[in-house]
Amino acid sequence: MLRAQNADGGWGYKRGGMSYVEPTAAVILACSQDAQNAAVVQKARAFIKTLQRADGGWGIASMDAESGWMTAWAVWALADNDMAAAQRGAEWLLATAGLRVTDATQVAGVKKVLRIDATITGWPWQPGDAAWIFPSALALLALHAAQIRQHPRVQEGLQYLLDRAIPEGGWNIGNPFMVTGNLPPTVESTALALLALRAFDIENEITQRAARWLAQENFTPTAHEWTWRALYGQKVGAPLERARGALQTLQRADGSLDGNVFTTALGVMALDL
Amino acid sequence: MTRKISRRAALRLGLGAGILAGGAIVYRETQAVGFDKWARWALRGQATRFSAASRVALAAADSYDAELVTAVDALWRAAEGPDLQNARVVVKPNLVDYIPGRPCFTAPQVTEALIRFLRDTARVKKIIVAEGMTFRRDPHAILIDTGYREMLERQRVEFVDLNYDDLVKIPLRGGYTKMDSLFMARTVTEADALISVPKLKTHHWTQISASIKNLFGIVPGIKYGFPKNTLHMQGINAFLAELLDSLPTPRRFALVDGIVGLQGDGPLFGAPVASGVLLGGQDFLAVDATAARLMGMEPQALEILTFMAWAGLGHLDENKIALRGAALSELRRIFEPAPQF
Repeated sequence: MLRAQNADGGWGYKRGGMSYVEPTAAVILACSQDAQNAAVVQKARAFIKTLQRADGGWGIASMDAESGWMTAWAVWALADNDMAAAQRGAEWLLATAGLRVTDATQVAGVKKVLRIDATITGWPWQPGDAAWIFPSALALLALHAAQIRQHPRVQEGLQYLLDRAIPEGGWNIGNPFMVTGNLPPTVESTALALLALRAFDIENEITQRAARWLAQENFTPTAHEWTWRALYGQKVGAPLERARGALQTLQRADGSLDGNVFTTALGVMALDL
Repeated sequence: MTRKISRRAALRLGLGAGILAGGAIVYRETQAVGFDKWARWALRGQATRFSAASRVALAAADSYDAELVTAVDALWRAAEGPDLQNARVVVKPNLVDYIPGRPCFTAPQVTEALIRFLRDTARVKKIIVAEGMTFRRDPHAILIDTGYREMLERQRVEFVDLNYDDLVKIPLRGGYTKMDSLFMARTVTEADALISVPKLKTHHWTQISASIKNLFGIVPGIKYGFPKNTLHMQGINAFLAELLDSLPTPRRFALVDGIVGLQGDGPLFGAPVASGVLLGGQDFLAVDATAARLMGMEPQALEILTFMAWAGLGHLDENKIALRGAALSELRRIFEPAPQF
């Protein structure tokens, strides 16, 4: 993973690919605790900082002229090192929200089709979009890292996650239901939502059901799924031997998981692979 | 003193006033998109009506165990598929998600038959199977669950996740949305040909999903989110017109997997329907119009198709689509429509 760093200081999703904010931030979070990586991490932080836009947010890469969801990754990665940059990013997050429906007829219509309370919103992938679980949970984790914990947007974001939970446990990417069918939970959304709720000390029946679903091994055993599961497991002190064994089996000869820097960084964050 | 206006002059005045009033109405009605764009689309649409008919070929295929390579070969020839010798080809199946018991994705057997045809008969230089999954960020689980991982390994074909590829910013030519450019995966922009290999299905937003709706998968989720809803916000039909109009690949073909289609609540929760058909052609609109007719729908009633036809992005009318191969009337299966709300 460290050898895959690009000359500009960032990482792509694949080795040699263009640098993106998300894998770069994930590598910083995975490696910054180890003093041996100081030079690499410093270069990566510098790369991230150069991409901060005038509005305080980040696009997905240098070619992106619009701030969006990867702002949360940048804030999280910089929060323990450059709080000024992180705060400006956090302010962008606080000023950004998914679409909110207020018209009573529309609220009722959305409730019928998607089974959600559309008056509550989280964070979108891009401004102008509806809110989704991944960017919302990520924004909450970033705001927590930036020491912002009581803001009304944070409280609404937490309510958003709870409202969108699937009754049987876990989260899909957004709503729990679509037109005629219950959407199935996904490991990634469920693990990230649980991490965000736990960061704000929220534990209730919804989180317990989701955690029980995540503990079942009824998912396709890919590196991506195992890393997200292990990330949550590590946070709650769950046994990680099964995840470690599975990931070691899936680890490629070059040390990567799926040849994907982001997934590999998550694996290092969870298990120090 | 009164001046008398001749009858001819009065008629001319009336005609002039009518033209001006008509022009004012058209201007007002098209102000949202801009009169120049509207006129360009309308003119192109009219010009397309006089262009040659598009070929669409149909083939009966009762099951995925059938000899599909032969069927694809015959269909390609009948539809006059493009010459792809030495071309770098991106094959784009629909791998929107995997839901047990729901045939919401293109069957790997169809994609595999196409790969074998492209390699052995069309003699392409390189084949890449590519998709940007819509609902999940992990492509591997879907590849495994749908049987694609095994098939791709067997055929030794590379898979590229278009959600995480390097990106290129391409200009949008149509002006149907408020976007003037779009991020697109380099794998697509550098390909010589794109083959859309959708599943034949109904869809609760667009009523049908075939070769054009399948193009949604080529835009990167990493920019536009999962499920790329940012682009839905542009208007699904308008954005799809934009995508079709701005495709950077010079050669293209659509091969629709209708051996088992999906009816009812598509794109995910519909029920299987044994529709027993493959269809293909170079004009995506003509292919999708034919797909609609196969499902028992009237293409002129589908907004996703009518706007594109009006704007000249392909043919919709039955008399401008030259059907080849099996008879449509014998392959038609009435699909249960997607729920509307």
